[in-house]
Amino acid sequence: MSRWLAEALAVAAKDLRAEFRTRVALNSLALFALTTLAAVSYTIGPYRLAAEDRPFLLSVLLWIVIFFAALAGLDRSFVKEEESHTAPLLRLAAAPTVVWAGKLLYNLVLIFVLMAMLAPLFCVLMGFEIAMPWRFVVVLAVGGYGLAVITTIVAAIIAQAMTRGALFSVLSLPLLLPLLIIVIEGTRAVAMGDLASFSESLRAMITMAGAMTIVSAFLFPIVWRD
Amino acid sequence: MSDLTGIMAVTMIIWIGLFAYVYRLDRKVSRLED
Amino acid sequence: MNRVGFALKWFLFVWMVVVIWAAFMWIPSAEGFKGESSRIVFFHVPTAWVATLAFLVSCIASGMYLWRREPKYDFGAAVSAGLGLLYAVLATVTGAIFAKIMWGAYWNWDPRQTSITILLLIYAAYFALRSAVADPEKRATLSAVYSILAFVTVPFLMFIVPRIYFSLHPDVMTNADPDNSLDSAHLIVLLASLAGFTGLSVWLYSVGTRIEKIRHRRRQEVL
Repeated sequence: MSRWLAEALAVAAKDLRAEFRTRVALNSLALFALTTLAAVSYTIGPYRLAAEDRPFLLSVLLWIVIFFAALAGLDRSFVKEEESHTAPLLRLAAAPTVVWAGKLLYNLVLIFVLMAMLAPLFCVLMGFEIAMPWRFVVVLAVGGYGLAVITTIVAAIIAQAMTRGALFSVLSLPLLLPLLIIVIEGTRAVAMGDLASFSESLRAMITMAGAMTIVSAFLFPIVWRD
Repeated sequence: MSDLTGIMAVTMIIWIGLFAYVYRLDRKVSRLED
Repeated sequence: MNRVGFALKWFLFVWMVVVIWAAFMWIPSAEGFKGESSRIVFFHVPTAWVATLAFLVSCIASGMYLWRREPKYDFGAAVSAGLGLLYAVLATVTGAIFAKIMWGAYWNWDPRQTSITILLLIYAAYFALRSAVADPEKRATLSAVYSILAFVTVPFLMFIVPRIYFSLHPDVMTNADPDNSLDSAHLIVLLASLAGFTGLSVWLYSVGTRIEKIRHRRRQEVL
């Protein structure tokens, strides 16, 4: 068990090392997020939205930025392997679920790095006041995990399809929309201090993330094996 | 009341048209199979 | 076309003619519904139900394909997804007409409308994926995987998202289908319509898969 974990961590570490060397995905993520944030902040700013609309609208905007940044930056985790022809080697070196876990971890780190940079900046620039900050972190963490799980399996699928860019977004976004609705509500709830709604959203988020995790873990080896 | 009959008539026509289309398709496929 | 098939199809034809007539002429106007909008329910609910069923069949066929690797399961998965998409569009349209009569607007993003839109996007993406992969076996495998993933979201879209959504949009009118006080006459026609639509989709499924088999056979002959 610990051997499996060690291997998965090794796969993730390899990818992260490569990524921090070239920073292609990180740049895409960061650039997209910052540009969008700048646009939103410039046009809307902290003053334009009426007080009663703020929790909801700011939640929506935050997650739209996060999701679209993720779509911009996370599509290449498997395509890279196919292009540089390291995929066959990886297939030999590690069991499929190890590869899946490693790639998932890699995407997770990228998303969390993105969120760590983006969320505080967003709150500051947009004047987003959050009544339950620690629970807000929980929403970000679980939502981010759900995002990572879904984008990982979709990235694996499109790497086999061998087409560029757009297909990743076309496949990911509809699958992500239910999650998006749930995390937006969770964020609105923590912004307003609505504990009941937060709990319900959290349960829904965890259920969805859990279901997607189990299904992806089963399906990934099939996609990868070709 | 005649509005309702009108809508029913339209629905009937849609159903008849749809059925005819699928039926013809079915026959064509049957011929190709044999 | 064999005898039984012939009889069944014409039986379906007559069945639906009777259902349509009953929905418009036999059933009286329902209370609590504006105008005659209650009649749309007889077409709206069955199409939504059959769409969900079709997506389920697609998911199961996909699973069968991944297990057995027989092309017929891939045909089933694709045809079913297509039927599901078709029925989902019909459900959306009938729902919008109903919304217009009852609440004055074709579209106001109520939880059901949002869920069905997401569903349409998800399965439209299924066909985008299929068209992006040239190799038949790879296409079958990848779309099978996607079909299963797609169906995982369906329970969330049907049950969880509407509840969460109400917290987001408390001002949304109570758009729940007001079908909780159905008397026996309504129930009979609704169930009959449901049976008819299900029968129709079974027939469409069979025709669709037969067409795919022929296409497949032709391709094999060329090789």
